[in-house]
Amino acid sequence: MALRELSSLEKYLGLKKPNKYSTQGEKKVPVLQNSNGPPLVGLVTIACYLVKDAKRSELLGDSAESRAVVQQWLEYRVTRLNNLTKDDVKTILKELNLYLQDKAYLAENQFTLADILMYYGIQPLIVDLAIQEKEQYVNLTRWFDHMQHYPGVRRHLPPVVVLRNRIYTSRHH
Amino acid sequence: MTKEEVQGATEEEQQAQSKKAQKKQQKEAEKAAKKAEKQAKLAAEQQTTEEDDFAKDQYGVSPMVQSQQKLDRALVRVQDLTPERADQLIWLRARVHTSRAKGKQCFLVLRQQQFNVQALVAVGDRASKQMVKFAANITKESIVDVEAAVRKVEQKIESCTQQDVELHVERIFVISQAEPRLPLQLDDAVRPDGEGEEEGRATVNQDTKLDNRVIDLRTTTSQAIFRLQSGVCQLFRDTLTNKGFVEIQTPKIISAASEGGANVFTVSYFKTSAYLAQSPQLYKQMCICADFDKVFCVGPVFRAEDSNTHRHLTEFVGLDIEMAFNYHYHEVIDSITETMVQIFKGLRDNFQTEIQTVNKQFPSEPFKFLEPTLRLEYTEAVAMLHEAGVEMGDEEDLSTPNEKLLGRLVKEKYDTDFYVLDKYPLAVRPFYTMPDPNNPKYSNSYDMFMRGEEILSGAQRVHDAQLLTERAMHHQIDLEKIKAYVDSFRYGAPPHGGGGIGLERVCMLYLGLHNVRQTSMFPRDPKRLTP
Repeated sequence: MALRELSSLEKYLGLKKPNKYSTQGEKKVPVLQNSNGPPLVGLVTIACYLVKDAKRSELLGDSAESRAVVQQWLEYRVTRLNNLTKDDVKTILKELNLYLQDKAYLAENQFTLADILMYYGIQPLIVDLAIQEKEQYVNLTRWFDHMQHYPGVRRHLPPVVVLRNRIYTSRHH
Repeated sequence: MTKEEVQGATEEEQQAQSKKAQKKQQKEAEKAAKKAEKQAKLAAEQQTTEEDDFAKDQYGVSPMVQSQQKLDRALVRVQDLTPERADQLIWLRARVHTSRAKGKQCFLVLRQQQFNVQALVAVGDRASKQMVKFAANITKESIVDVEAAVRKVEQKIESCTQQDVELHVERIFVISQAEPRLPLQLDDAVRPDGEGEEEGRATVNQDTKLDNRVIDLRTTTSQAIFRLQSGVCQLFRDTLTNKGFVEIQTPKIISAASEGGANVFTVSYFKTSAYLAQSPQLYKQMCICADFDKVFCVGPVFRAEDSNTHRHLTEFVGLDIEMAFNYHYHEVIDSITETMVQIFKGLRDNFQTEIQTVNKQFPSEPFKFLEPTLRLEYTEAVAMLHEAGVEMGDEEDLSTPNEKLLGRLVKEKYDTDFYVLDKYPLAVRPFYTMPDPNNPKYSNSYDMFMRGEEILSGAQRVHDAQLLTERAMHHQIDLEKIKAYVDSFRYGAPPHGGGGIGLERVCMLYLGLHNVRQTSMFPRDPKRLTP
């Protein structure tokens, strides 16, 4: 899973030569064997390296505040979106929905690496939602729909239908 | 020991004993005296109370009404108690909904069906202390006859339907006494879900309500639901009769299952077995072949489906329509949708009180419909679902969740809670459904939906014996068992179509309720045979 995310990210960044990855341990943590240095381990570490390599460091935030926020969501992505129970899923969807209530991107008004990796990570949860649930987490699905239509981001993932109109307006049915 | 000695000893003993006995007797006498005194006192008291009670003929428990007499007494209905009747002295029969004694006064709420009024028994010229006490002790739900003066009130009584008047009771007689403990409280049974939670008040769950249905049916909500249901039947009959339909009665004990043998009740019938009708389908079609042209039928329908859902019953009331048409089965659809629209309009115009009463406990949006009714084709519906991200085959039947979703999509797009879905895939319909002449994979059949749930299933029927035989064979139906049915089409049969509606479902969905048991007076499901 992580490897496909990284290769999609490479393509998004426009890196010409695809890197070779391996995995380590039971959790299949991605490893990048660098030609001129020690191996890089972990999704976020490698992703940040790729961003720097592509000279797109604005994707890591262009102010001290936004850099901190991007790091915080990258950490959230790798620590929270693993081995989820049903209750966890609900909590995460609720949290993100509330957070995105007044934001276009995770780092306020700026598209960053956090949006890309969060989109890849949350996609499997969104796919399983019924239309009524998607409407329940309307801020999250709005952001999600924006991400999957963001030029070059979607790559390996199938599109998910997100309705633009609310259809469950009444209290019943 | 000598005899004398023995005697002496016994005498001594006797003496001692008699002393004891004397004491005992004395004590007993004292006791008796006290008792007598007490009794005398009590009797005296009673006498004085009886003497004091100048109103003793103005209240009490009436002897059982065995039709001993024809009283020339007009009973006023609670709903007619308006300020126009102020200061009149009236008689009234009602239930004691609640009673609350407060010093020298007793407030009663008297209820008659969905209406109630406040009544007051106060110590004064007309009522004695004992009468107030008697009124306060009448058990809830007892039926009473009351003579009272109607009085205007300055402040509206918010808790009653008759807010502008109250009754000053002059006489009160219990006609039927209720047992003091009720299996459920009426006020609890009408409390909207979640409302009483902060105050720690109870609501009554569905099963308890149904177990004590007679009491539950007295609630304002139930009264309104079943008055509205009666209205649906009446509007259905009136509309169709005006359109030239004939009401027919069909047998419910039948020899062959009409739509698939799986969900049918078998009953033993002398030396053989019979089935309970799943629908009057075959009979209403035979009436068409017998030149009745347009028929309808209101009666019980049985389904032996072991499904415990919010919308399935094993016995329900079917409203069935069948009519001959000239050239196109859309004539039938138009006739049915016009009937439904007439029902919706009739309910909207004549049953506002009932709708609002139910809304108080079960809030829902008003029912919306278009004129003429929206008609969508099955392929359009599947396209709408695809667009919303649902994966399903073109000729697949609609699942319940997809049906509901489609209802929401249609509501959003067309703003209607009622629509027709036309041209179902042939494969998912019964054998007597007419195939579509333009595409043999589809059929001239339709469903109608209210708030996204199916209420009617109908189609143009095959009126050609040859084709009907083919279709039956395709469905692997034993031709021998449906011989009489197929034969009816051999001697000239007009093209015809129709449909069947579930009365309970129509009421449930019109009112936006969640469970069909709420609109069935004595519901039957796989787990309930009583009451």
